[in-house]
Amino acid sequence: MQVAAPARTVAQASAEPALRPPQLVQRKEATYPPAALAERRENTVTLELTVDASGHVSDPKVVESGGKEFDDAALAAVSEWVFTPAEESGKPVAARIRVPFAFRLPPPPPAALPAPSPQGGVPAPAPAEPPAASPAGETREEGPPAKEEELEATVRGRARPRSRGTSDYDVTVGKLSLVPRKAAAELLKLAPGILLTNEGGEGHANQVFLRGFDAREGQDVEFSVGGVPINQAGNLHGNGYADLNFIIPEVVSSLRVLEGPYDPRQGNFAVAGSAEYELGLEDRGVGLQVGYGSYATRRVLALWGPPGASSRTFGAAEFYETDGFGQNRDATRGSAIGQYEGHLGADTTYRLTLQGYSARWHSAGVIREDDFATGRKGFFDTYDFGQGGDATRFSVSGEIESRSGSTVYRNQVFAILGNTRFRENFTGFLLDVQEPQQTLHSQRGDLIDQSTSTTTVGSRGFARTSLDAFGRRHEAELGYFARYDVTDGTQYRIEAATNAPYHVDLDLHSQIADIGLYGDLSLNPLSWLTLRGGARLDLFTFDILNRCAVQSVAHPSQTNPPLDASCLDQESFGAHREPVQPATTSSRAFLPRASAIVTPVAHLAFSVSYGKGVRSIDPQFITQDVKTPFAEARSIDVGASYTRDLPGAALALRTGVFETKVDQDLIFSESAGRNVLGGSSTRRGLLGAARLTGGFFDESLNVTLVRATFDDTGLLIPYVPDLVVRSDTSVWRRLPWSPGGVPLVASAGIGVTFVGRRPLPFGDRSDRIFTADASVSLARRPLKVALTATNLLDAQYRLGEFNYASDFRSQSAPTLVPVRHFTAGAPRQLMLTLEVLLGGGS
Amino acid sequence: MRDARMLLGLALCACGSSTGGALVTFHAAAAGPADSVSGQPLVFTNALGYQVTLARARLHIGGIYLNRSVPSSGAQATSCVLPGIYSGEVTSPLDVDVISPVPQPFPADGEGTSDLSQTAEVWLFGSDVNATADPTVLADVTGTAVQAAGTPIAFTGQFTIGQNRAVPVGDAALPGSSPLCKQRIVTPISVALNLAQGGTLLVRVDPRAWFANVDFARIPPDPNDPAQRKFLDLSQGQPDLAFYGGLRAASGTYFFNWQSP
Repeated sequence: MQVAAPARTVAQASAEPALRPPQLVQRKEATYPPAALAERRENTVTLELTVDASGHVSDPKVVESGGKEFDDAALAAVSEWVFTPAEESGKPVAARIRVPFAFRLPPPPPAALPAPSPQGGVPAPAPAEPPAASPAGETREEGPPAKEEELEATVRGRARPRSRGTSDYDVTVGKLSLVPRKAAAELLKLAPGILLTNEGGEGHANQVFLRGFDAREGQDVEFSVGGVPINQAGNLHGNGYADLNFIIPEVVSSLRVLEGPYDPRQGNFAVAGSAEYELGLEDRGVGLQVGYGSYATRRVLALWGPPGASSRTFGAAEFYETDGFGQNRDATRGSAIGQYEGHLGADTTYRLTLQGYSARWHSAGVIREDDFATGRKGFFDTYDFGQGGDATRFSVSGEIESRSGSTVYRNQVFAILGNTRFRENFTGFLLDVQEPQQTLHSQRGDLIDQSTSTTTVGSRGFARTSLDAFGRRHEAELGYFARYDVTDGTQYRIEAATNAPYHVDLDLHSQIADIGLYGDLSLNPLSWLTLRGGARLDLFTFDILNRCAVQSVAHPSQTNPPLDASCLDQESFGAHREPVQPATTSSRAFLPRASAIVTPVAHLAFSVSYGKGVRSIDPQFITQDVKTPFAEARSIDVGASYTRDLPGAALALRTGVFETKVDQDLIFSESAGRNVLGGSSTRRGLLGAARLTGGFFDESLNVTLVRATFDDTGLLIPYVPDLVVRSDTSVWRRLPWSPGGVPLVASAGIGVTFVGRRPLPFGDRSDRIFTADASVSLARRPLKVALTATNLLDAQYRLGEFNYASDFRSQSAPTLVPVRHFTAGAPRQLMLTLEVLLGGGS
Repeated sequence: MRDARMLLGLALCACGSSTGGALVTFHAAAAGPADSVSGQPLVFTNALGYQVTLARARLHIGGIYLNRSVPSSGAQATSCVLPGIYSGEVTSPLDVDVISPVPQPFPADGEGTSDLSQTAEVWLFGSDVNATADPTVLADVTGTAVQAAGTPIAFTGQFTIGQNRAVPVGDAALPGSSPLCKQRIVTPISVALNLAQGGTLLVRVDPRAWFANVDFARIPPDPNDPAQRKFLDLSQGQPDLAFYGGLRAASGTYFFNWQSP
């Protein structure tokens, strides 16, 4: 429940020309006390504080209390405000001013429950708006005669989805940004049950494990950023491939992870759940970060947020380059995101977002455990230097939201151009089987070269209205989603000796449409009960042209045999056959979702949720007029949450159990280099999460236990972790020294991940993973110096482990039986970053 | 409390559950027939009535492979390596004295899975199973043969598999129908065993099968020693073809025994 309204705060100058009041240049929104949020309490606090000659705040006092929890929130926020100092005859002087804070719940009032908008698994302290229409403040200058000054703020809210219960994690990153994260994908770890791995190198999307799902690179998780979808329909590397590397972590303001298909807004790919990134930049002004670290890693980041504009108006550009920590691991990327949020009158907000991203990298791939054990290969070595990839993504999005009475309307359009190319070799020299019609050859190599270019256009929108009935307020929402993808994908096999393609596996042209319509109700029949739910109807249409449908001819011509050609246009017994095969089909999915949330007493809520999700099929499996066989998931969650304000801290806890059944699971195939369809499966599990936030610390801890099995055999699903523990901790403190009158702030963050032994094929188990990432920083505005260390303990760990057959010619005879392979986890890497933040203004 | 119990239960379940099967390492050895006598020539009578006294018989095994499937007739007719279905392998080469019944261990242990193996393969090669030329002597034999009251025939032979065993392409549209690797792989040898960690796979090679149909009288004289005869090491002539047929016979020559740990 993030009202999330960046205030436009305007300090109006006094009429006295010789005196200039302090002007706010950097503000931090107050966090809404969780308990008050849960109990739907509003209040107002007025502070009096001194803005010293350097523009910093000192000696804040409560002059009008709103209760301890509100007072503390206001004091914590204002302590980080920065002003341009008051001036008298052009000379900076200290001034004492009054600042009112109005903690207002967002209109329309939501249901009577502690709408969990959790941070990392717990209800989040939502930002309180500064005053919607603040009373006049008083300015008393210390020294010069007191002058009147008025602070005025305007608040504009943005409609947010309502919570779906215990498995709905609305993560406000906040100070947990102090924990080192190399990519925005790592923010997902703030939600329980998530493990990220990567066998494809920097630039390749992370593989996501979520609550017992091996979602590969997003095939089972619906990802979006600012409402713009990220999953690529029809990507040959995996239908739904989602590369989050274009998102600059510093501009992620919040993240909603909904584990399970419980919200009617969730569409295609939301089988395990969904993750929605929201972008924003709190710091106003112009910032520049320059970092240099281990393995010649360089990063330059420019950030700017126009003073006086909303936190959702910003620009960010990143350049990153590394030589990599082992053989063949270099990477280069650049990313830029610009967003502008403006207003049309008092009731309409619009937003325009532009994004561009390009990356290129090499990857080491897998190493056979026996080769590492015998010294034939090093831990960070590679077999095939041809592995790597390229990616580009450019998108534009426009969104407008308006309010008319009690109804909110929002519409958004987006367009995305993307391209990915992957070169991966999982099996070495194993799959190039001699075919009779081919000329004699030995194994030419299993390097796969997959390219996919996509063009996506679409729109989404909704109308949400509130109505009063039976003495309570309820909500109803109708929404739509429309998306059209044109995708061209090819997959080649590359000959190791020449680096030239010797075979075409796939050549697909796909046109895929997805039209979704949903309705969602939020009813409050009783003061302690909220019912939320609705249904979604999705229509998927596929128009596929397989340009390489014929790979062999049963009776090849004696005079013109196809020999090694891939996409055959041949005469078979005199019958001509073109190599292409068009196919069109469509199918629809009906997806009911419902949640019940019970709040029997203050601070405590129970919830139960049920929902059905789908994943559309990979276009290469489309058959003419055969209805699209969706993979369907049915999921149920039961949980409880508890929020409480403690002396000097806010505590939030939650726990729950869940079960998800999938009728067609995805199983990793090393020969295909991606996931392929498997049988039905069931996941049952338990999660727990806690977050404790205080004035100088923030701690998030989550634990997930899952048992994922195939329904037909009862055997464990390989590769998915059954135990994931994650802790994120940050502390910050203003030091007792203020060189030059400017406060010195020290901060530190540490993130710890523990993953139990994952089941592997053939009854095997992987190693455990235990890693710690940490950072320390020292800030004296406008400068900040930070030192980050990933894998602080320098543990030599295997990020991914696989059991399958490969032959990398590391031994004299072919190796054909399944053995252990691994992808190396990164060693300790240090990076020193210098940050400068300049400018700003109200 | 209930959550705690469930957590404990889940943890225990996870520890006790499996994805099925197991990866195993095992010992491997090869030997001659069990009824041979160590240090003694192997004496036997072949199908053509020759009494053969085999003084020397050595075989170079490039590798041993086990497969979960049973090849069906006509299927995968040209594939030397079948991806993803192998259940055992011993990839360290071994020169084995096949007139000795004593197991001679392969230099390195084998690897595999606990799945039921139904087909075995003996790979006869020196450096590369796909090499167009391979001078490695795979079978090295010396002995004498005598038919009824005839004159004893001293013979010797060294057998290789290279271009001397290449099968000419009969169909221009199917130039890859007979790759040389197929000549080097003896398959399908019928077995039924489940490998287990620490067990031993013993391959007994019966050289009597190599000579089962050899007409020793038709072995040409050795140009370097007219007192004895020598196999040509070519795909021609009854003795060579018969010997080569016995060497590559999927039944009667190679016997796989599994000894549990």
